[in-house]
Amino acid sequence: MATDLQRSGARSAADPASGRRRRPAQLGQLVVPALLVLEVLVFSLLTDTFPTGGNIANILLNSVDLALIAGGLTLVVILGGIDVSTGPALGVVAWVVGTLTVAGVPTLLTVVAAIVLGAVMGLVNGLLVSALNVTAIIATLGTAAIWQTALFGLWGGADLFAPPVSPFFSSQRLLGVPTVALFVLVVYAVLWYVSRYRAFGRHAFAVGNDAEGARLSGVSVRRVTLAAYVLVGAMVGLAAVVYMARVGVVQASSGADLTLAAIAAVVVGGTSITGGRGSVLGTLVGVLFIAVLQNGVVLIGVPPLWNGVLVGAFILLAVAIDVLSQRLAGRKRLSR
Amino acid sequence: MSTVALRRARSRIAGSLRERTAFLVGLIIVTAIAMSLISPYFLNLDNLLSMTQFGAVIGLLALGQTLVIIGGGGGIDISVGSMLSLSGVAMGLIVGQGAPVWLAAFVTLLIGMALGAFNGLLVTTIGIPALIATLGTLYLFASAAQVLAGGQQIVGFDQAGFAFLGTGTIIGIPTQVLLVLLPVYAAAAWIMRRSLFGRRVYETGNNDKALRLVGGSPRRIRFMLYCTSGLLAGLGAVVTNAWLLVARPGAGDGFELQSITIAVLGGTYIFGGRGKVSGTLLAVLLIVILSSGLQLAGVDPSWQSGVLGVVLVASVVLNNLFTRRGERRAPS
Repeated sequence: MATDLQRSGARSAADPASGRRRRPAQLGQLVVPALLVLEVLVFSLLTDTFPTGGNIANILLNSVDLALIAGGLTLVVILGGIDVSTGPALGVVAWVVGTLTVAGVPTLLTVVAAIVLGAVMGLVNGLLVSALNVTAIIATLGTAAIWQTALFGLWGGADLFAPPVSPFFSSQRLLGVPTVALFVLVVYAVLWYVSRYRAFGRHAFAVGNDAEGARLSGVSVRRVTLAAYVLVGAMVGLAAVVYMARVGVVQASSGADLTLAAIAAVVVGGTSITGGRGSVLGTLVGVLFIAVLQNGVVLIGVPPLWNGVLVGAFILLAVAIDVLSQRLAGRKRLSR
Repeated sequence: MSTVALRRARSRIAGSLRERTAFLVGLIIVTAIAMSLISPYFLNLDNLLSMTQFGAVIGLLALGQTLVIIGGGGGIDISVGSMLSLSGVAMGLIVGQGAPVWLAAFVTLLIGMALGAFNGLLVTTIGIPALIATLGTLYLFASAAQVLAGGQQIVGFDQAGFAFLGTGTIIGIPTQVLLVLLPVYAAAAWIMRRSLFGRRVYETGNNDKALRLVGGSPRRIRFMLYCTSGLLAGLGAVVTNAWLLVARPGAGDGFELQSITIAVLGGTYIFGGRGKVSGTLLAVLLIVILSSGLQLAGVDPSWQSGVLGVVLVASVVLNNLFTRRGERRAPS
């Protein structure tokens, strides 16, 4: 049937994950999940506290905000963009969330406000990149600095303390699993569905692979780009709610670590930084990889200062292995 | 490309660069006037001269950044600040072991270059995209600096006249500028304009495939550019330590945004192949005027990064609006 042909053809053209699979590339995609399993095994052997239910719940709870941001960021990276303003943006929204919560604003309203504010901040990035033709790295570096300064201004020297917007985001459990973790799974399921089976997702892959070709094929590059940045902004807003529920305080530096961690999660998860290739599910694995690493490294008693060195080194290692295996597969031509 | 077309293309590029220089000079004048209106102390000659020392360290980093970006292939170095921090801490440790400070300074340059070489390996040999590689090393180097310093500051630099490098003046001009910044920029400008290496760098940024076809090695060029960026970061660390007489593990924080802002402001095309050392120097001057003017006006330094962000975005937007080519994504 014409529609079936169109759908399968479009899918294999625009979704490189399905079409031409060769052994080495397939093996390459297993590298990071394998590293994750290895991690879990190593940490479980080295300490007693790691494999406990309480610790697992901790890991999940602590990685939810990162997971949300990284999920939205995946689509931006797939279409060839980048966003380094997610951390400071989260800080600003977290401040607003905290203020609203303390003022007694109803939960639903606060959450909606957070998502909307995040989306608006994402819109600024999106407009800069799509309408004003500013390169993504420069646009988001600029907005990162602006949001950072805005947060500094809002912070005004006084740390803002606030209770969680709702226990759903912090202490609530469903059969022992934090509800917010289940929530993240639902969000990821939606993101995955949109990226694979809806036009928006396919267009994002197309733009990431060949923007000019996509444009000539009738894809509105501007609209897809704008939508992707708004989406990651909305995710940042949601993540800010979770962040407040988890951390409980907003400072001038809040959220700063998340920028790099989100990008690392996306890249470690197998999404190519140059665009056109990747998957939201891969990002989830990437998030878990980093979360487990950060958790385990502390539990095995590594001095806190060494934390960053180990995590940074392992992220570089994971990316290097991924890149090298792609090169072996002949898929990635080295742009030297 | 025919000779006529080549000549036309060259003059078009030269034209847009001249526009950029004029644009920067104009902006400098406007900013200087604005700052002098904000604060009456601004136009004092002593102030103007001492102000330039704030530009020395960031100027060095911005130069390294400019070179890496001109080299193209998505080249960028977000780890410059962390390389500065780590080199500075390393220098502190070497001096702490009893080494003479000037020897330590020399070794620090080598350390910086080694850090840059590590970036270069990740990007050119393994093939990790520069953005990710230097993002990773930013984190790695910054953490390493913290670890080596034990989370504290390191002292002990005040010997053998080292402090003069950081805080002295010669005929009123800070030594940082006269003895370090200006000579380095002069050398860099000469290399980029007149030497074979400089031409190769531009070729690497403009059309690396063509360069490879004639037997050049874009990979080696880019590797050397990352080494240079590291070397300049090491030099920046030496100057910082001479200036503050203390090595802080967080000394380089925030420099990455500034260095990229300055490089882009100075007319460096983010996709490579275009940019001038002199443009970067003008941009350094602009940022210095802006920063010190704001400081004199009593504006908290923390606001400066926001101002810088606005400046960065505004300059690119304006550039896009006023030139026909703009900063469109280059087909690669």
